[in-house]
Amino acid sequence: MPVIVMASPKGGVGKSTCAVLLASEFARMGADVTALDCDPNKSLTRWASHGLPKGVTLHSDVGRSELVTTIKNSDGDGKIVIVDLEGVASQLVSRAISQADLVIVPMQPTALDAEIGSEALALVKEEEEALSRTIKHAVVLTKTSAAVKSRVQKELENQLRGAGIDMIEPSLVARAAFSELFAYGGDLTSMLNNPNIVTGGKVDKALLNAQAFAEAVYERLK
Amino acid sequence: MSGSNRLAGLTARPKDTDAAEVRKIDEVGEARGFVDRTPRKKPGRKPSPRTYQLHPKVLPMVGEGIAAEAERLGITQGQIIEQMWANYEQKR
Repeated sequence: MPVIVMASPKGGVGKSTCAVLLASEFARMGADVTALDCDPNKSLTRWASHGLPKGVTLHSDVGRSELVTTIKNSDGDGKIVIVDLEGVASQLVSRAISQADLVIVPMQPTALDAEIGSEALALVKEEEEALSRTIKHAVVLTKTSAAVKSRVQKELENQLRGAGIDMIEPSLVARAAFSELFAYGGDLTSMLNNPNIVTGGKVDKALLNAQAFAEAVYERLK
Repeated sequence: MSGSNRLAGLTARPKDTDAAEVRKIDEVGEARGFVDRTPRKKPGRKPSPRTYQLHPKVLPMVGEGIAAEAERLGITQGQIIEQMWANYEQKR
């Protein structure tokens, strides 16, 4: 089963959010998901400390030396492996990319995110050449506006598409529910059905966005 | 998106995971600045565990006397000091 790697040498772009949304949505679909938390900030571990959705297993503190073996051991029939990486340019990132069936590079629609994120895209290309095989990769824009698409976002999308980069649609909209998953644990469905959880955001819209995102990722794994 | 049958059809591509392959990937990454950033352990010798060892400085003839008495009794100098301490505690 496929290995999905969230990669960007920039921090705060939404790698962990993407990882949590995919892990919970694929688990809801019936997959046995193994999430690897390779980020020293332990975002996934914090999310898991409040309760993991059914079907998700988490491995914390996966370092450079044990990454390849852990991915290999986690892989198997009916399993999806999701790797959340640290937001720095490290060997851990390059090793994870080499084991990926799909590399997702999250970016906020800003010039800085695009510039730093493009380092990950360039690394994927170089690893493809070194390994003489293709490594599927795509960019997802994160924390986008729900109301309007900014001029910067439109320009960025055009530039990336012009460079032949696969863009995942839909982008992930800035939703309070996404960030609050790390405070409440579980998934968006449980958040929606729990009247005790006060999010201050539209969980139903967030859930639809996450489901469409997971569907778009699924299409790339086929 | 529902049903697990669709996911069951997903497959992974075979990947090499041998040491040579990993080394090659490390070299490609390093050339682009993706270097080993594993936190280094604190250098130097680790502190010894507490063994309650004493290092008293005494006059030469006292030191020789303790050593000779320990040898005569077939015990360690530490055991003599323990006995001396027990006597001291009793008399205090």
